[in-house]
Parts: sequence; structure tokens; C-alpha cells
Amino acid sequence: MPSNSGYLSPWNLLRTAAVMFVTSSLLLVASDNAPERVPSYVSWSQQTLTAASAGDAFRGMLLAKRCDHCHGAEGFSAAGSTPNLAGMDKLAVWKQLEDFRSHKRTSRVMEPIAESLSPRDVSDVVAYYSKLPVFTDPEDNRSFPGVQPNPVHAGIASHLVSFGDGERGIPPCQSCHGPVAYRPGVPSLTTQNSEYFLDQLTAFANGKRANDINMPMRTISSLLTEGERQALAEYYGSGRGLQPGSSR
Amino acid sequence: MNWRKLRTFVLTVLVLCLIPATRYYQIDEPVLRYLRGTREVDPLSLHLAGEFVENNLGTEQDADGSVTVRMIAQQYLFVPHCILVPAGVPVHLRITSADAVHALAFIGTEYNVKVLPGTISATRLEFSNPGEYKTVCREFCGAGHYAMRSELKVVPREQFPVLRAGERGNCAVQ
Repeated sequence: MPSNSGYLSPWNLLRTAAVMFVTSSLLLVASDNAPERVPSYVSWSQQTLTAASAGDAFRGMLLAKRCDHCHGAEGFSAAGSTPNLAGMDKLAVWKQLEDFRSHKRTSRVMEPIAESLSPRDVSDVVAYYSKLPVFTDPEDNRSFPGVQPNPVHAGIASHLVSFGDGERGIPPCQSCHGPVAYRPGVPSLTTQNSEYFLDQLTAFANGKRANDINMPMRTISSLLTEGERQALAEYYGSGRGLQPGSSR
Repeated sequence: MNWRKLRTFVLTVLVLCLIPATRYYQIDEPVLRYLRGTREVDPLSLHLAGEFVENNLGTEQDADGSVTVRMIAQQYLFVPHCILVPAGVPVHLRITSADAVHALAFIGTEYNVKVLPGTISATRLEFSNPGEYKTVCREFCGAGHYAMRSELKVVPREQFPVLRAGERGNCAVQ
């Protein structure tokens, strides 16, 4: 064994290569041992985007007769605990229906309904709801928009919506949920009922709802205080979210 | 055999290796893809399989006393939101992005890690002083960039919780 040759001798190089090989294979084995907890089987690949947005809105309208009873004929529900679907992004509703179907999001009502729909039905229904206009109709029985929040609550919510809270690392709501910017699969909050909104935010915070990919909503809602969640629910539920938030 | 000739040859090869090494992320060759191995991930399906599934994020205790921290950077959050590491031990940081380019900077330390979608940024860090550090995103990543911050908690070694196999530590609010 050549002990006093330079560090670049073939023997040393070979030994380094061997050590690197063993280490990397150990790392490979070690990094694969945790059992996986999957929040949702949806992944926004090109195929998914195509499948989710290729629906026929007319066929969707016929299918959506089944949804009218709870979600309203115009996509605005009468009960505050049921979400409004009018004008909602296709991908957002599609993802929730897929998650209900795979039981990644739980609801005694929606799981059996989503299971009964074929993949084509799902993309047709979401195409229909995405085309419904957002306008006020006094004839329609809706719980949106709700009462205006008191100015203090509105101020807290407006600041969170437009700026978030940098100190605590809370991003502004409107940077993903509209009307300023959107991301794929993220629902618009601008016309959501306050009761449903608060239910979901609370469910994210205590882990009862866990179908957000890479945990953004579980993280953010547990950083928010209970009062802030309430203020945000009032803010969006009153229709203020339709305009971009401001510091006022 | 002529050792000097061999040495010159090996040195030349090493110097030539510097060229692809500096352009590492720009070269897309099947051979390199194979050699990179686990360095490549699909940013859209991090949550489905692989080392960035949600229950594998956070601090993992390694056998040699060091720790491995796995994180995801996304618009506009670092997950887990608060990372917990013991002071004075090597921290192997493995971080990837789910969407845009981010940069994870630890305020008060010299560390600034670039995070690119599709690749794993793997670095070895060490924090000698216990305390709470702010971490921020230092690469403009979109509308919520200015609020993209999180926390790092460095605790003395004896206060670091004992993590069982498969258990991951963090200090995020739950």
C-alpha cells in the first residue's frame, strides 16, 4: 500500500470514490423510509389542467340542477354554511370535488355526491359554475353579501388582505385568492359566505381539514388569531373583498 | 509508470470538470440526470411521494448526531414555518421549491440559500449561538414576497427534543 505518495494517487482517488458511493447509497436508502401522508392526490400537471378545464358548460348546467337545492340556482346559496360557487375558478372547484371523491376532504353530504359523478361530469359542472356571473339579484334567496363589519374589524381584515403580516410571516390573502392574483386551484374568496369561510379557516387551523397541497392554509390559519379569522370572515362575507384591499 | 504524467493528466481532467460544474443546472444530459440522482424533483408533485411529503418535513435526527432539515419554499411561505435545530451541530439543509425561485436567508447569520424549482438545494449549515432567528425570502417571487418570512429556533443541544425514527421536529404553531 503506497502510504507516502501524493493525495492524487490512484489508490486515494479510488478510495474516495468508494466512500462517496457508499455514502450516497446510504443517503438514498435513508431518505426513503418515512411513510407518506398525502394531503390530496391532485397535482397540477399539464394533463390535470387539460382534464379539469375541458368541460362542457351546457351539459354542466343540466347536471347542476342537482346542486341548485343547496348551492342556489344562480350559484349563491341560501344557507351561510354552504359555499357560493358562482364565478369560481374551474380548477378550484374541480380539486375540491376530486378530494371529496378520494375522501381527502370530508363532508357527509359532498362525498357521496362526488363519488356518483364521472370525471367528465366533474369537469362539466365546474365549467358551468365558472361561467355564472357575479351580480346582485334581490329576487334570489342568498346570504351573500352579509352585514357590513364594524370599522375596527374591517381595518384588521383589510390590512391582512392587502399586506398580510410580515412580522409573523403571514402573506396577504389577495396575493393568491384574488382579486389581485391567483394560483392554480386556489378559490376566489371575493364572494364567499362568511359562515362557510370561518368554518373552513377554523377547520384548517385545527387540522380537521387537511387537503391543501404543501400545507399553506394549515400554516396560515394557525398563525392567525381567532379574532383575525372572524374579522376576515366578516370582511369577505360582506362583499368588501370584491375590491382590492387597502391599508385604510 | 510515469507518475508525473499521470498527475498532470488527472489535474487537467479536474480543471476541465470545472466548466460543467459551474454550469451544473444548465446542462440537461441523460448521463448528468442519472448522476444527479435525488437532486431532481418534480415541483408539482412534492406532496405525492418522495422526501418532501408533508410528514417528512422538519428536523430529522441523524445517527451521527447531526440533523437533517427538509423544507419547501412556495409562494409565499416556507413550510414548516418554524424550524427547530440544536446549536453547534451540523445541520444538513435540504430545500426545494414548489413554484418559483426563492432564496432562504437566515438573518443574523451568513447563510443565504438559493431555492430553485425542480432541484434540491442541499447545504451544510451550523448555528453556534442559541436563539431565535428570522428567515426571509431574498428573491422576488411574486405579489406576497414581502411577507414571505419564517422563523428558525436554535436551542442548546440538551434542550433539543429526542426524536424517534420517523419523527420530525419543528416549532410551528399547531
